[in-house]
Amino acid sequence: MERVAGFIIILGTLLWLFSVIILEGRWQWQMFSALVLTIGIFCAHFWEELRNTDSNGESSDGQE
Amino acid sequence: MARERVSQADEWQAWAQRYDIEGGIRTFESGLTVKVFVGALFVGLLMMPGSIYLSYVSGESGAGAAPWVAVILFTELARRSFTTARRQELYMLLGLTGAAVGSGMQYRSFIWYAYFINTPQAASYEIADKIPAWVVPAGDSVGVLTRSLLHPDWMLPIGIYLAGKLLGTLRSVSAQYILFRLTADLERLPYPMAPITAQGATALAETTGKEETWRWRVFSIGSMAGLIWGFLYIGVPSLTGVMMSTPIQILKIPWIDFTQSIEGFAPTGVFALRTDFGQMLFGFVLPFPIVMTEFIAAMATQFVLNPQILYRFEILHQWKPGLDVRAVGLYNGLDFWMSAGMGKSFSFAIVGMAASIPMLFKMRRSKKTAGERGAFAPPPNRGDFPIWLMGLLWFVGMGGFVWLIHWMVPNFPLSFLLGFAFLYTPLNSYITARTFGVLGRDLFDIPYLHEITFILSRYEEVDIWFAPLPDEDYGRGTQSWRVLELTGTTFTSNLAGTLLIMPILIVSGIVVLHFIWKIAPIPSAQYPYAQMMWPINATNECLWKTSLRDGNSQMLQAIRGDYVAAGFTGSLAIYGMLWYFKLPSMWFYGIVGGIGADPGSMIARLLGAVIGRFYMIKRFGMKRWYMFNPVLAAGFACGVGLIGMGTVAIALVSKAVIVKPF
Repeated sequence: MERVAGFIIILGTLLWLFSVIILEGRWQWQMFSALVLTIGIFCAHFWEELRNTDSNGESSDGQE
Repeated sequence: MARERVSQADEWQAWAQRYDIEGGIRTFESGLTVKVFVGALFVGLLMMPGSIYLSYVSGESGAGAAPWVAVILFTELARRSFTTARRQELYMLLGLTGAAVGSGMQYRSFIWYAYFINTPQAASYEIADKIPAWVVPAGDSVGVLTRSLLHPDWMLPIGIYLAGKLLGTLRSVSAQYILFRLTADLERLPYPMAPITAQGATALAETTGKEETWRWRVFSIGSMAGLIWGFLYIGVPSLTGVMMSTPIQILKIPWIDFTQSIEGFAPTGVFALRTDFGQMLFGFVLPFPIVMTEFIAAMATQFVLNPQILYRFEILHQWKPGLDVRAVGLYNGLDFWMSAGMGKSFSFAIVGMAASIPMLFKMRRSKKTAGERGAFAPPPNRGDFPIWLMGLLWFVGMGGFVWLIHWMVPNFPLSFLLGFAFLYTPLNSYITARTFGVLGRDLFDIPYLHEITFILSRYEEVDIWFAPLPDEDYGRGTQSWRVLELTGTTFTSNLAGTLLIMPILIVSGIVVLHFIWKIAPIPSAQYPYAQMMWPINATNECLWKTSLRDGNSQMLQAIRGDYVAAGFTGSLAIYGMLWYFKLPSMWFYGIVGGIGADPGSMIARLLGAVIGRFYMIKRFGMKRWYMFNPVLAAGFACGVGLIGMGTVAIALVSKAVIVKPF
């Protein structure tokens, strides 16, 4: 999941650079890149938070 | 060496824990006593004029000082009387004094609109005669021309304000309480930043014990530094302003503008050194990576991005040589940065949701394993209220508020008001309460919501821009209920104190502001910050308020979809890259916050951050330095506030006795 998220983020970033440099910054392409990046970022966070739910969950309780 | 990945929540909580040196307590006592109430009122009302005056002179109200002055006086009196002060009393004192000092600021919009209605900008944009009477009396009315808030002309604006205040108190108290019960009691979110405030009260409560602690020494050092700085920065201009027509400023307020000096090699770049070196204290307290990345991003913007890319490709096209920081900032904003800024704000919302939604899933899973969450019963003796009663109060408060707005702008579609009040506000507040509960700060914000609403409603009158809308956020306030819990202060005593002091503050605030307005016109040479900033603020306000009036207004033209998309997608790409390379997520907030900003405004903060990071931490150790920080900052604010209070007192007395020959 981490690799997938990383790949999507890289893809989105390259798409954005392409849309700015080659496609003269057309908003439609930029927003498409944003969609790709958003998916990547959500994937990244879901993976990050849920990878070790049991152990992390208990430690956050302990702070109370 | 491979970097270890740390989740955003863990990263932020690790920072929050640096400040969290006290454990919460679970015995509750009332913090409201007669001596606390009188003490808060005395110090609060004494410092309120200084706070208002300072805000017009330097842009900073110094209101943070007053609660600490009250607490110091209180603890000193307790020590001299061979008694002790409880932390509940001190926390209550902090809250009530803060409310007392801030009570003058609540009427600031009256002074602003009294100025705005007579500006050339308002006239040229044809809105001066369209400002509703419930905002400000007419520009040629006696109440405005004689600078008198006590004139009957002001009865309608003040009456509307007071009705809104009453309904607002009903809504905020009830909604914050319900959200606190949901997030702190039911879901048991940690509220990581709440212990910082609780620690302040604890620090000074300790001084009434037998032994003097380090906190008192640190507070005194901060106070002396604040007194010296306050005298140089605020005292000298204010005192000389009493005697001379043009006040002497040792350091120019609010900045020294180098924009024209850099235009040779960095056209369209801005650099105005902000002279308020009190900002160094914020640099001490703020996380070092944020301050550093913010500064680097701002430098890169003003010295590379603006001149070498945006100017060369004629995106920043209105710039011409010889402009000062305000004009360059305005033109750059209209050309590009306002649109890009909108995009940046949207990216904060996406990043916030991406961080918080997985947390919800995580919380649900960990609830099952911990077996503690889901218990809705409050701890005994905390002074809780019936949930149904609070719900009823919120409905009454919100219903009344919607009715009031409908009365003010009868032609604006009611459905939008109801949607904001009963759908958006609860949802927005709950999200914010959750992010405060987990991260200690707000992450979710839909930018330019009002503007979007006005476009969708197809309502074209200017009056809607002056009306309040029921899009509120109570989530931030839930943290203060957590602080009450941590300090062991009963909720009932806090509510009683707030309600008792309110009527006194409503009256005193307006009287004090009336007298400060009488000293000199605002803005004028007496109030350099207002004189510097208000004209540019008036232009901005005109641009916004007329942005939807016709299809080709300057502001609408300034908002370009491709630039908004660039700001939005560029920020997301920065966040994604930081995540990919396992760099701290707080760099994102620094970088995105710094892009487009003036680096000169960050120098003092950067200086504080560097001194803290490379000297103070080595000298005192990480834990001790983060213990000192809030107390030192409080002491500094106290010193500056005392100087402000002293100088405004002299100015007020001077103006009261000098009879002008005309």
